[in-house]
This record gives sequence, structure tokens and C-alpha cells, in this order.
Amino acid sequence: MTDSHVIVEHLVKTYPGASAPSVDDVGFSLPRGEMLALLGPSGCGKTTMLRMIAGLVAPSSGSIRLNGREISQIPVHKRNMGMVFQAYALFPHLSVAENIAFGLEMRGVAKAERVEKVKRALDLVKLTGLGDRRITQLSGGQQQRCAIARSLVIEPELLLLDEPLSNLDAKLRDEMRDEIREIQNRTGVTAIFVTHDQDEALSMADRLAVMSAGKLEQIGSPREIFDRPQTDFVASFIGAGNFLTGQTTGRGEAQVEGVGAVRFVGEAAHGSRVRLLVRPHRLALVEAGSGGVNRFAGRVENVVYRGQLMSITVAAQGVRLQADIPTHAGALPERGQQVTLSVAPEDVTLVGAEASPPMDPAI
Amino acid sequence: MRTLRNLGLTLLYLFLLAPIIVVFIVSFDTRQYLAFPPASFSFGSYAKVFANEAFLSAFGRSVVIGLVVGLVAVSIGMLLSMALVRYRFRGREGLNFLVLAPFLVPSIVLAVGLMLVLSPVGLLDTYAGITLAHLGITIPYTVRTITMSLMAVDRRVEEAARVHGASAFTAFRRVTLPLVRPGLIAGGVIAFLISFDEAVISLFIVSVRTSTLPTEIYRYLEYSTDPQIAALSVVLILISIAVVVLVERLIGLRRAI
Repeated sequence: MTDSHVIVEHLVKTYPGASAPSVDDVGFSLPRGEMLALLGPSGCGKTTMLRMIAGLVAPSSGSIRLNGREISQIPVHKRNMGMVFQAYALFPHLSVAENIAFGLEMRGVAKAERVEKVKRALDLVKLTGLGDRRITQLSGGQQQRCAIARSLVIEPELLLLDEPLSNLDAKLRDEMRDEIREIQNRTGVTAIFVTHDQDEALSMADRLAVMSAGKLEQIGSPREIFDRPQTDFVASFIGAGNFLTGQTTGRGEAQVEGVGAVRFVGEAAHGSRVRLLVRPHRLALVEAGSGGVNRFAGRVENVVYRGQLMSITVAAQGVRLQADIPTHAGALPERGQQVTLSVAPEDVTLVGAEASPPMDPAI
Repeated sequence: MRTLRNLGLTLLYLFLLAPIIVVFIVSFDTRQYLAFPPASFSFGSYAKVFANEAFLSAFGRSVVIGLVVGLVAVSIGMLLSMALVRYRFRGREGLNFLVLAPFLVPSIVLAVGLMLVLSPVGLLDTYAGITLAHLGITIPYTVRTITMSLMAVDRRVEEAARVHGASAFTAFRRVTLPLVRPGLIAGGVIAFLISFDEAVISLFIVSVRTSTLPTEIYRYLEYSTDPQIAALSVVLILISIAVVVLVERLIGLRRAI
């Protein structure tokens, strides 16, 4: 908390004429040198968030602090931000080197120093020797690198990236994903990027903020978000999942209709209705009748062979479970077969609890 | 089939170009009236044109008025285009219509109207008067060409300039302006050519002091019809072609790079 580079508090943006705010009371803090992903479906307010931090959109209320200094009233060109736009937004009338030098020129950096810094920036993004090219002579990936160089050469307080990979084809995307991560590590710049792609967010970010309908649903490390989603939205938006509904009968135990007792991780008041998440790949096949907790016996309804994994749908007493099991050359479950699935209690996550019947909402 | 089409095209162009060709041939005639075909050939008419004081001074005035009109029409056109393309404000539709209006009104109506307006304020037969009149009919064109260029400019590119340290004005000067350059040049040239060429409105507004080349030609034709007028026409055609070629080079070359 002491070295929080960016602190956003109660940030709200309501566009004129809109019935609901685009960003609704969002707050988070980001330590220096970390990379934050703003993740959510389109229209969730993540881009508006980024544009408010950049200074391109004025917040309706709330505060944005950078190094402890309030910046929400500072005009966009004095915030010292670097930004990579979705379609790169390079200056089409300038050469690659002139594009990169733009921010330096605006800051009154002397010519000789500019040339030196542009050269280093070109090296950083592996565009060495391409400084004299026109923008139109660059491939998509090269334009992306040029945009990154342009925003990093000014040594910005923050690097902002708006859907940085969405304009690249699949192969290039994986390559640039690693590269952006590596450049960010090497320069140590604090970065925020917007994406709707959960793989991108999970693999690139140190910290992940999931947004929905203008609200911040949850913020945490990729592992926390994936394994311990705190809301229904996060649980269903990130990855696939089986949801079980039951009533708690004790600490970390719930009675699920048709299945029986299920052990889980999380705190819920005794007797409350709970929703539990089980990721398909955390379910494993076990010997029928073997002892232990969280056993689900049922009949295989469908199988989809996917190479490394096999997705099976199991109808277990009243619930239908999706399980991804690792494949091997031996015998694999077939349609119609009776199987037993099991899951460790720490892989069953409590995502929602409400006191049942009325009164006294659980935590 | 192919030869038939080529023949058709050739005939069409001949038909379109016939008046110019006739004027071109007649300009070398030596008789004191306009007739086709010419009886003899000489450059005498050209010599007379370049010695005609009235033509020369009117030509100078037309060039100056054209240049001023071009520059001012482009500047005002740029501001109007920014307002029309970038902002949503009350009266935007009205402004858009006002800008378009001179397209729709016949020149002769505009001319009479302008004369009635300029007369009481003492602007008849002044540079200010003729420049204002020409601005009215050229600004619609510059607004069109600049609006087209401006709509093609990606706003994110301007935002990128802003984020990376440019003030609003610097972003405009360093990014927006260079990107709409083709529209500025095209608009400026069209405005110049229209002003340089304009006869109807000018006839109502100018008299001896500020007569432009087209009005001078008109006045000359009232009293005499000799090949001088044909020679002058050829010179004007060549000037127009030169301007268009120059522009093609200017904008075309930039695109080629």
C-alpha cells in the first residue's frame, strides 16, 4: 500500500444523455512496476476507465492519484502518459523515427538526444534500422512495435494499452503478448491494459480487474481471479465452470440436491444458500465405490475428444457435470458408461451465499 | 467492338473539345473579325494581347483577388469544417445549409442580391466588395473538400498526439493540418480558379477601378470581335491547365512518396 503508484477512488463517468453510468464507483490501487489488466465484456466500461486515466475523458466524479498526486484535473498532454491505441493511431504523415520522436519533441528534448533515444527505443522493440520507413511500409506487428516505442521513449509515468493485441492475427498475437510482457519487465514501467480476452489477461497481467456493467467485480492476481472468483459474474466470465447450488450444513460443507454433501472452501453462515464453482479440469475420474469426499457418480452422456483433453458430460443424480480429463492411450470413458468423478475440497469455490429464508444476510 | 468504342470516345472528345480547338485555330488569324477557317496565320493577336494595358492590369487584379480569395476561403473553410465535422451543436444543420446554399442559388440571383447589399455600404467596385462576393461562392467548395479530408482523419491519431504531450493547438498544427493538406490544396485551387474565372457576379459588382479579367473580356467583346479575344482565351486555358497540372504534381507527388 505504501508504494501504490496508481490509486483510483470512487471513479464515476456518466456520459451526457446516458441513463446509466459507464463507470460506476470504481476504485483500485496498483503497485509500481506492475501490470494491470482491465478485463470485461464490451461495453463494461473498461475503455472509459483507461481513457479517464489517460485524460482523454473527464471523470464525472472521483479521484485518480499518481505518485500520491491528484491528476484528474491535469490536462491530458501534461500527464506524461504513454498510450498504445487499438489500431495503433500512428501519425501516417511521419516516418517511424519521427513518430517515435514526437513525444520527445513535445517535451523540448534537444535534437541529438532525441536521435539517441529514438535509436534505443527502436532497438528495444526490435525495429533497429527501420527508422526511415513510412508507417504504411510496416507490417501490422511492426506498427504495433512502433506504437509501443512511441509511448515508451518518453519514459512515461504509466503505460496504457487499449486492446493492444486485437488487431493482430493469432500467431503474431502470442508473440507480441510475450514481447510486451518482456518489454514491460525490462523497463519496469507500471502498465494498465484493456482487453476482453481472458487468456490475454491471465497470461500477461500481474493483477487483474474484472469489470461488468461499469462496476468493478473483483481485482486480484490471475490465480485469485481464476481459482477464487468472488462473484457469479467473475466465475462464469472467466473459464468454464460447473455451478452447484446447496445449503450449508456445517463449516465448509453444503448439502447439494441429488448429490449429497459437498466440501468446499469459503466462509458462509450456517444454513445459507450457497453457489459453488467447480472447474471442469479439476474433476478427476476415480474408482467407483472408493471412499472419500466429493464423489459424483453418474452416466457419461457425451464425450468430446480434444487431443490432450477429453471433455465429458456426466449426468450425476440431478446435476450435469462437465469434466475435462487428461487423455492417455489406455481405455477412456465412453458414452453410456457409469463413472465416478471427484474433486478436492480446495477446488470447490464458494462464489455466492445468501441467508435462506429471509433476514440476516451472510457475509 | 473495341475499335468502335475507341471511335465513339474519340468523337465524344472531339465534340467536347471542338470549341477550344476552334478558338485555338482562330487565335492565329489576322483578320479583324472572328471567322472560321482562318485566312492566314500569325502570332500577331498574341502580341496585341500582351501589349493591351487593360488586359494586363485586369489580369494582375484577377490574380491578386484570386490568391486572396483562395487563401481566405481555405482558412474559413478549415474553421467551418472543424465545426461541422467535429462538433454537435445547436444550429449545426442550419450552418450546414447556409454553407451549401450558394450552390443552389443561381449566380444571377446572387449577383443582384450582392449588388443590393454591397451598394449601400459603399463596397461596389472595391477590392473588399469583389473579394467578399467571391468568398461567398467559393467557401462552399473549400468546405466540401476540407470536410472530406477531415472526415478521413482518425481521431485516435489526434488523441495519440495529445496523450504524448501535444496541446490542442499543437496537435492540430502538427497532426490534423498536415493530414488534411490534400483537401486544403484542392479547395484553395478550386477557389482560385472559380474567382479567376467568375464573370456574372463580378459584372454586377465591379466597374473600372477593380475590373477583373473576365469582366474586361466581356466589355471588350461588346465593341469588337477580333482574334485578340481568341488569343487571350488560349492563354487563359493554358494557365488553367498549368495550375491543375501543378496541383496534381503537388498532391500526387506527396502520395507517391
